[in-house]
Amino acid sequence: MIARILRPAVLIVLGLIWLAPIYLLLVNASKDPAQYAADQVWRPIGDFALFDNMREAWEIGGLGDAVSSTLLYSIVGPALAVLIGAAIGFAIVALRLKHGFFWFVLVFGGTVFPLQMILMPLFVGYVEAGVYDSRLGMIAIYTAITVPFAALVMRNFLGGIAHQVFEAAVVDGASTWRIFWRIYLPMSTSALVAVFILQATFVWNDLLLGLALSQSTEVRPLMTAVAALQDTYGGLQLTAVLAGGLLVSLPTVVLFLSTQRIFSRGLSLGQF
Amino acid sequence: MSAPATAAPTTPSGSAAAESRRRRRNPYGWPARGFSVPAVLVVAVLLYLPFLWTTWISFTEYNGLGSPSWVGLDNYRAMFDDPNFATSVRNTLIWVVGSITVPVGLGLLIAVLSFGMRFGSWLRLPFLIPYAISGVAVGVVWRFVLQNGGGLSQALDALGLPGADLRWLSDAPLNTLVMIAASAWQQSGVIALMYVIGLQSIPREPIEAARLDGASGWRMFRHMHWPMLRPMTTVVIGLSLVSSLKTFDIVWVMTKGGPGRNAETLAVTMYEETFVNSAYGAGSAVAVFLSIVTFLAAITYLRRQLSSERTV
Repeated sequence: MIARILRPAVLIVLGLIWLAPIYLLLVNASKDPAQYAADQVWRPIGDFALFDNMREAWEIGGLGDAVSSTLLYSIVGPALAVLIGAAIGFAIVALRLKHGFFWFVLVFGGTVFPLQMILMPLFVGYVEAGVYDSRLGMIAIYTAITVPFAALVMRNFLGGIAHQVFEAAVVDGASTWRIFWRIYLPMSTSALVAVFILQATFVWNDLLLGLALSQSTEVRPLMTAVAALQDTYGGLQLTAVLAGGLLVSLPTVVLFLSTQRIFSRGLSLGQF
Repeated sequence: MSAPATAAPTTPSGSAAAESRRRRRNPYGWPARGFSVPAVLVVAVLLYLPFLWTTWISFTEYNGLGSPSWVGLDNYRAMFDDPNFATSVRNTLIWVVGSITVPVGLGLLIAVLSFGMRFGSWLRLPFLIPYAISGVAVGVVWRFVLQNGGGLSQALDALGLPGADLRWLSDAPLNTLVMIAASAWQQSGVIALMYVIGLQSIPREPIEAARLDGASGWRMFRHMHWPMLRPMTTVVIGLSLVSSLKTFDIVWVMTKGGPGRNAETLAVTMYEETFVNSAYGAGSAVAVFLSIVTFLAAITYLRRQLSSERTV
């Protein structure tokens, strides 16, 4: 009886504590900077200026440029990675690649070590190759970093397709490319989409690779731009910094809440 | 007698072997290689090659200009003598301990309290929103909340609680602790979600049997649910362990490593040495150290989990 009241009560109190920072974010991102008072952060005072603040972060803070390049990175990188991962999965499972398991472990091992191990050589190598601070360079690394997880999931998923499917297609005279493109890929749409969503979120949220491999406002990814907003408190009003933080979070919040299951399944596969 | 017996079948068995070899040879050998090349190439060039290069540079002195000069273990010796490195190791340890206890404990609590309850998934929603926000945005929010005299201080003041004049993000180790709290704020919800999935997969019969035997509440949880959630706990703690060793985003956005580098983690120290101080050799040594620690932690954890599972 007590438990029946206590359980929701504890959850609600905890939940309110959890929402408090979000409340502070919303309230203060909506304040008119002229009326903002540092000692009144809990109170919604002044005019509602959320959209003006967002516009300021978008234009003066350079989030507009960063959003368009990050959209490009988080779509093209994971899309390529999913195809590349599916291709090696297909080679191992359907085409019975010699020493397939070794090659699989090699590819999957690519993300076992911390990102810190590859930052400096990438920076130096990118400068040498003339792709430092270029969209091409960013797409290349975001593809590479998302291939191992894609290969893991796609190999497991394609392994669930009966080999008879492949043999039947061969009897019908289909080429391996056609079998991959027209039969195996369409059969694995659900896995492809799940991996794509997880990896697109990862790229969208990346800070470190952006810090190390880009600097101009046209190339710099979104989170790197947001982190830079923090440093220029003088140039940008605090209310605009908060509005910027809110703005860049909206797409992932919507995506996450509508695809919760994919995320929790991806998590247990080691995508944190 | 034995000689012809062994000699006679030589020819047929030889041709049979050749035939089976022919049959075993994969007719799709070349296409298979073709389909694997992109993955292997991209991973080799952009992940493994840099990995090896960092390892090599850690034994050299190099600032990005000219060519690296071999200095043996000097970078490592200097690293272990550096008080900043000691601080960084201490902070990273605090992060690891904090991350495998606080968000895991809270996540488990939220999952157990909300599981099987009406509107349970709605009550879990507030905890899930922070997870959908990036580490950078979490840093932006919490840096605002934890400013001197900011949201938290004002709330403590209004409630008549002590601590309103603490300098949350300046003083060590307080700044590391509050950043762990920010990270727990982000992670607890998704850990709860994973535990809910774990709870859903527990079969009903043994729980019903225990209930008939009079078990309920804490005893039920302690002796039935908790052991059955063990596989999920293994996954959650393993992931938290590895990711906490690499903590970077929140620390960078909230404190840049703290005043006087007092809040740096190993990942931040590596970045600081390499990209701020241009000491590529020293930065690489930190990266190698971090990789070895991560690797050893993962292996040790997995082996302990596997061996204790075998004895159960």
